[in-house]
Amino acid sequence: MTRLGEGARLVTTHRRGGEPVATYAYRGQLVTVPAPPAPAVPAALPLQGQDVFTLPYGPVRSGVFEAVQFVIETGGEDVSRLSTRLGFKHRGMEARLRGLDADRGAYVAERIAGIASVAYATAYAQAVERALGVEAPPRAQRWRVVYAELERIANHLDVLAKEAETAALAVATARFNIHKENVLRLQAAFTGSRFARGVIVPGGVRADGRVDLDALLRVLDAFDGDLRHDRRMFLATGSQADRLVGTGVLPRELVERFGGVGPVARGSGISTDARHERPYGDYRRLGLEVITEEAGDAMARVLVRFGELSESVRILRQAIDHLRRRNGELRVALPDASGAAYGWAEAPQGEVVVWVELDGGTIADAHFATPDTRNWALFEHAFPSDVLTDFAFIEHSFGLTPAGADR
Amino acid sequence: MLEWVYRGLRRGRVTTGYPHRDEEPFLGFRGHVDVIGDGPVSESVCPTGAITVQAGDVALDRRRCIMCGECVARYPERFAFHSTYETAEGVVRERRRSVHVRHVDAGSDGAEEWEIQALTNPYYDVQRLGIFFTASPRHADILLVTGGVTEPMREPLLRTWAVMPAPKAVVAVGTDACSGGLSGLPGVGSVLDVDVHVPGSPPSPIAILHGILLAMKGLA
Repeated sequence: MTRLGEGARLVTTHRRGGEPVATYAYRGQLVTVPAPPAPAVPAALPLQGQDVFTLPYGPVRSGVFEAVQFVIETGGEDVSRLSTRLGFKHRGMEARLRGLDADRGAYVAERIAGIASVAYATAYAQAVERALGVEAPPRAQRWRVVYAELERIANHLDVLAKEAETAALAVATARFNIHKENVLRLQAAFTGSRFARGVIVPGGVRADGRVDLDALLRVLDAFDGDLRHDRRMFLATGSQADRLVGTGVLPRELVERFGGVGPVARGSGISTDARHERPYGDYRRLGLEVITEEAGDAMARVLVRFGELSESVRILRQAIDHLRRRNGELRVALPDASGAAYGWAEAPQGEVVVWVELDGGTIADAHFATPDTRNWALFEHAFPSDVLTDFAFIEHSFGLTPAGADR
Repeated sequence: MLEWVYRGLRRGRVTTGYPHRDEEPFLGFRGHVDVIGDGPVSESVCPTGAITVQAGDVALDRRRCIMCGECVARYPERFAFHSTYETAEGVVRERRRSVHVRHVDAGSDGAEEWEIQALTNPYYDVQRLGIFFTASPRHADILLVTGGVTEPMREPLLRTWAVMPAPKAVVAVGTDACSGGLSGLPGVGSVLDVDVHVPGSPPSPIAILHGILLAMKGLA
């Protein structure tokens, strides 16, 4: 294959005069080159049998969910085969970034996957900073950690609330939702946005958080105590544990082969976390324990999230301590220069990687490799011996967002 | 199981009194941006083109506003956040029956779904107002649409709307749904007649509730 260099993205392949050719997006241009040889993929076998039928589930599903379609081939109870149809909400966000100021680009980046705004904005900002050879001031990096960990807590609580709701545990659902709402309100108190939008910009952060750090500490202490109780009871409730243990098992080798990331990979015993493996920003100074579980089932993914909630609280305490001790600048000016670089951050769903090319201060090209795209390939393989009623438990244990995959 | 009940009771009540009582919004709540005062303004301050200046008159199209606050930061004498809850008390008095709500994601960023789901959490608890979410569009009175409309979602959106029985209303939830916002997609108005616009990126649960109450008023 002709090497175009870093940042080239395959758009389409087709035949021209009998020869396969491929079109790549590269530096804002479309480039056509000979196609790479097609990998030998065995054709999917048709599923046949008595009473076998295909159930298209989505894109408008029961409940308030994002648009995605699951095609379930089933004999009625067991899920014989599942395929995911993404693309219903492809908005072309990467194309929207082209031609924008580096500053304004952050607004688009944080709306690629709305529930992980901070992680996407951070990855994008760090890519721009690396491309231009600047670094955000230490205080700004610390604030980014605070917002990122609050976002992680909110996301993990969302997963726990949905698991409890699926098991019809009304009080547990209410409690996790109360915690989540408290965290979103805290985020709003700090930044004016419940999703901490408009705060992280290339070069730093726009402002100091607007509540005093003692208030955050008080909330954290109360949350930590509540969480300990709720975790113990969640795990001790038989009707909940029964639905999670042994459900949606992903063997470690499978996850490795697909390059799974985030809590999905960590639930299958793979110790992968961008904050630990490729530490960025303030994570280079903060200690971090990567929580892993070996079982690979829905319960393992839930346990990983419980562990990470406590770990996030610990990181927040450390970050608050640092913020209190030292003042400093929040933002450095960006030169109107050109350059290209990768940036990355650990979103609650897993690592997000961004490639950004800048041309005189404006974005020439940008690409996002999202955890949702990578983990969604695994989702289809998470039903080795599971039935339709396990579907919601397994889906929520993955904690993915279609917006991140569709972009 | 008993311990869950006990814990639930011990937590006490957290539910808002909105829309029946005036209430302090939570810290950092942004309702919308107001145009105030005098002075020159540059249209380019707004990343979504919501601000237009004509012969010195400044207008702000709230349907395009993502409440990023750039205008408030640069022209504090011309723009201000409106940060109190607008009560829909009159609306609630007129209400006699419950409504059922169906949601369709036409191309959102995922955050709007979180904020709609939040309406059923104990803080907002919209069931107390007779508002219920329904799986079947045939039972629905109000359609909540999030996100600008992508090409693949146009048809499912129209089909959902078509099977809803009259009287019915459309609420566009979020700046993307109202105008396309930063996504560059066409707003919901390009496909359906929108009855209530709820701007915000994403709008807070209270704003969405206000939008649903206004839509209920139209149905009465």
